[in-house]
Amino acid sequence: MNRPVLAVEDVSLGLGAFSLRNVSLALAPGEVLTLLGPNGAGKSVTLETIAGFHRPRAGRIVIGGRDVTSLAPERRRVGLMVQNYGLFPHLTVAANVAFGFVARGRARRPDGADVARLLTRFGIDHLAARLPRDLSPGEKQRTALARALARQPEIFLFDEPFSALDARTRDTLREEFRAFLREAAVPAIFVTHDQADATVLADQVAIMDRGRIVQAGPVAEVFRAPANSFVADFTGVENRLPGRVVSRAGGRWQIAIGDRLLQADAPSLAAGTADVFLCIRGEDVALRSPGEPASDLSTGNRLTMRVERVIGLGALCRVVLDGGFPLIACLTRRAARDLGLVPGGHAVVEIEPESIHLLAG
Amino acid sequence: MRSADLLADASVASGPSRPRWPAAMARPSGVMLVSWFLGSVLLAFIVVPLLGLAISQSGASLVHVAALPEVRNAILLSFASALLATSVAALIGVPLAYALAHATFPGRGIVAAIVDIPLAVPHTVAGIALLFAFGRRGIFGAPAEAWLGLRFWGTVAGIVIAMLFVSVPYTVSAARIGFESVDPRLEKVARTLGMGAWRVLWHVTLPLAWRSIATGLILTCARAISEFGAVVILVYYPMTAPVKIYELFLRFGLNEAAAMATLLLALSLILLILFRWLAQGQGRASGYGR
Repeated sequence: MNRPVLAVEDVSLGLGAFSLRNVSLALAPGEVLTLLGPNGAGKSVTLETIAGFHRPRAGRIVIGGRDVTSLAPERRRVGLMVQNYGLFPHLTVAANVAFGFVARGRARRPDGADVARLLTRFGIDHLAARLPRDLSPGEKQRTALARALARQPEIFLFDEPFSALDARTRDTLREEFRAFLREAAVPAIFVTHDQADATVLADQVAIMDRGRIVQAGPVAEVFRAPANSFVADFTGVENRLPGRVVSRAGGRWQIAIGDRLLQADAPSLAAGTADVFLCIRGEDVALRSPGEPASDLSTGNRLTMRVERVIGLGALCRVVLDGGFPLIACLTRRAARDLGLVPGGHAVVEIEPESIHLLAG
Repeated sequence: MRSADLLADASVASGPSRPRWPAAMARPSGVMLVSWFLGSVLLAFIVVPLLGLAISQSGASLVHVAALPEVRNAILLSFASALLATSVAALIGVPLAYALAHATFPGRGIVAAIVDIPLAVPHTVAGIALLFAFGRRGIFGAPAEAWLGLRFWGTVAGIVIAMLFVSVPYTVSAARIGFESVDPRLEKVARTLGMGAWRVLWHVTLPLAWRSIATGLILTCARAISEFGAVVILVYYPMTAPVKIYELFLRFGLNEAAAMATLLLALSLILLILFRWLAQGQGRASGYGR
């Protein structure tokens, strides 16, 4: 593997009543990491510590092979972007971008060639003389990215840049943002409390809670196999059901929930475990009509359950089922209509054993 | 006549039932009407006495007092001392405001309260206290005279000290509000762009807080020009304008005093309007606050 561009090694610090405890992160070249967690988890403090605004009590921070733990923010090569993009309100677009060159020796004139090149690259050259308050959110984002890029950062740090936007603008700008990150190939850490940001933008995700990183890894892995019930809850696992181990053969477990039996693949679960939580994402629960023949899942779980409610959420539907235990399935509105799901009716539930993630209870 | 016709036309065109307020202006609510009524009482309370003073004076009497060297000197001394006091307020008041806005230390509230004390102290009391501290045997006065040869009793330095004491709180509180209104995230972004703390202060924080700071300095200057109580105790001679007016009143009566008062009023207003205009021009030059 490539040498990491950023290594946060066992960093701890105290800030009044809040503290970061043993935070470690590593970022490979071009990688995007999302720091995900509820408000007050320490995401922004972690980001500001990497940027150099807080001195760790223990541990060290390495950027581009250089130990920067005791360097001032202006001597680290990081590009910081904050909520509402943090453009200087008293400066024009061109002057804002020109500020990005300050670190590279002499400040550039707003009408200089370096600035013009960046403005053109981001398609904002026609806005050069505007003030930030006359820009749309998209134009602000492009200006902020151009300014941050002018500084030639080794990593980008994004602190919830989208959090003040409405949902529609957010989706558009997130897409534009993703394209930028792919093209610039500068590694980035992205702080958010929105799991959609993590799934759309990032390769890696680290989940934070109360000053600690509770789980980190590739996005798909963390979302599929949360390490504990906090992560499961925060990554939006709809079903977390308590169960009892009946038997085990290799990596295949037989779990009883009430009087129902489910099979789950959990090769890494400790052998002696007796009580477990089953984590099942709503989109991994497949529904069929009772009359329909079974799909060719030879070892699958197949149960008939009663439909309690169907909740529409725009394009998606959430179906609440009951079969001795409650279960939530997520499917498209179209699929729900084709199945003719009605409260009080029945549906056949299919769950693949590898879609059931087991947590030791 | 003509405007009445226009009004009549407008009301016909828009129909009798439509409100006569222009579309862009919402019809004022009862709250607004009451606010404006009571507010205009206040405006009248301020403007009428000053206007009354001004129109009571004939041009000839103004020319007469303006021609008196002692009057001109007093006014010049007032303005020069006030500018000096304002400069010192900028030099030591703005940094304190910055510290109060940025630092979170226990006792921050106490420091802020200390700065406001001069506003609550009767100015004669302030003058007496300053006399103790800056007099010949005072804790500041004695070393200043011994080492710098600087005396505060009966000198311009004393006038500046008295003006500063009573007027510096305006600079500190306005500048503090200005600094607190600057989003700390902007300062952080500026740091990561490669600016040291001093450059961030100069290029980001000060331009964004400038309007409030300027307002504070203008208020300080105005307060300094108008100070009487503290100045008259610390420094009777040379006379500042308010002291001179008081002396004219005692010696020659109301009319002589009123003429000079009008002159001072007019000049002060011109100066303050000029400052305000300059401060706004500064804001425009940096592209902020249009």
